[in-house]
Amino acid sequence: MVEAVTGQYRASFIYSLELSAVSAAIGLFIGSLVAIAIVRLENVRVLRSLVVGYSSVAANMGGIPLAFAFLSAFGMQGLATRLLREINIDLIGWGFRITDFWGIVLVYLYFQIPLMTLILVPAIDGLRRTWHEVAQSLGATANQYWRFVALPILTPALLGGFLLLIANAFAAYATAFALSSGGSRLVPVQIRFFLQGETITGKTNLGYAMAAWMVLLTLVLVIGFQTLVRRSERWRQ
Amino acid sequence: MKPGRLAWWLVIWVVGLFYLIPMLSMTRFAFQRIPVIKLSFNNVFSKWTIEPLLTTFSDSGFRSSAMLSIWLAIATAVLTLLLLVPTMTIAHLRSPRMRRVIEISAVLPFVVPAIALVVGFAGAFRDTIPQLIRSPFGMVPLYVITALPFTHRTLENGLASLDLRTLIDASRSLGASWIRTVLFVIVPNMRASIATASFLALTVVLGEFTIASLLLKNTLPLYLAYAQGQNPQGSFAVGLVLVVLSAGFVTAANRFGKRVVS
Repeated sequence: MVEAVTGQYRASFIYSLELSAVSAAIGLFIGSLVAIAIVRLENVRVLRSLVVGYSSVAANMGGIPLAFAFLSAFGMQGLATRLLREINIDLIGWGFRITDFWGIVLVYLYFQIPLMTLILVPAIDGLRRTWHEVAQSLGATANQYWRFVALPILTPALLGGFLLLIANAFAAYATAFALSSGGSRLVPVQIRFFLQGETITGKTNLGYAMAAWMVLLTLVLVIGFQTLVRRSERWRQ
Repeated sequence: MKPGRLAWWLVIWVVGLFYLIPMLSMTRFAFQRIPVIKLSFNNVFSKWTIEPLLTTFSDSGFRSSAMLSIWLAIATAVLTLLLLVPTMTIAHLRSPRMRRVIEISAVLPFVVPAIALVVGFAGAFRDTIPQLIRSPFGMVPLYVITALPFTHRTLENGLASLDLRTLIDASRSLGASWIRTVLFVIVPNMRASIATASFLALTVVLGEFTIASLLLKNTLPLYLAYAQGQNPQGSFAVGLVLVVLSAGFVTAANRFGKRVVS
């Protein structure tokens, strides 16, 4: 149990957590922007059902097909890589690799952004129109309303969503596995490595210990999520 | 148009492109026989073919893993319903406390990552019931658990919208047995949420990789991961089919799900 979080294995956990946190933070930001955009542009009817519908599809995506999609788009010979090169953005030249840290972050965003959108849209719907009117009649600008009224109310939902996104990325396995053909440093991939003992056998205990640590870490995250969601629901009766 | 609105449209477009491009690239790679380097505006529409998909469909390895995945998906959906519908009905009737317990255990799979679940499963049964690990259908219980957060939620919504007590009292007082009541009264009344739950279970199983990978079972996603090397076009094409299929299932689930609420 202790060995599983020391030395190179600790590095593996840190790498996994960093990846999860970074992809969750970016997913939180962009996903929230999308959610607000839907609400702001609510007079365009189809937009909402289109975005929410696709988000529920994309949030469940993951696994092997997603890795394939990104390999064909942002891989060395990817279509997007090629298109960007046409407008003088040379991703590969800048050292971007789809199997690296930022590459995996990019792939994870494909399910992180829509998940955040799905979490936030109901929360924004919960903001009452009257609060906006009150703020306006007291002379608040639109920005002031979002900054001082909407944001504090949405904070629990945002934080809860952030934690859920971290847990979501932390547990993701298939995509990372397919991207790196099994050689990734991410914790889930490492666990598989120990349990199937391709080179070292007799270290299966380490696999079990790492799995136990994963459960423990995710448990902490989810309990945090539950507490925050309960707080955010206090505003809507 | 006000500048503010323009900015929000920009957000939608950029994210929309981000959602669209990988899928388009995958489609192009799978169905067009031109390497990216040679691609230009002159040949964008030439050499499209569905041959990679057809060749893969006739591959025996693909067929066996596809059949396995389909049977696993069906078995999982069936077991989920057999397990959840009677249990949750009883919990609704008899004890709110049991409902709470079921609810908490249904969210647990969110807490326990699939990798940890399968590690525990293998550890527990490797020496006691090895058949469970050897047979691919030993994975069905694990799949049921993985799909539980989604399936439980929809069935719970379906049950909550029924006036269960009245339905059951009416059926029982007319002389129906318990089994008859569940089969001919409860199930037909919950058909929308049952359909939703089944679609979600199918989606989960068809895309599941972690569990099958650790137990070395040759399901469709595993076939894809390993065929990627020899037959990239074909496996990308099948991957695309999988995406379209699960998108269809999720959309269908959403449609039925709305009917549950209303």
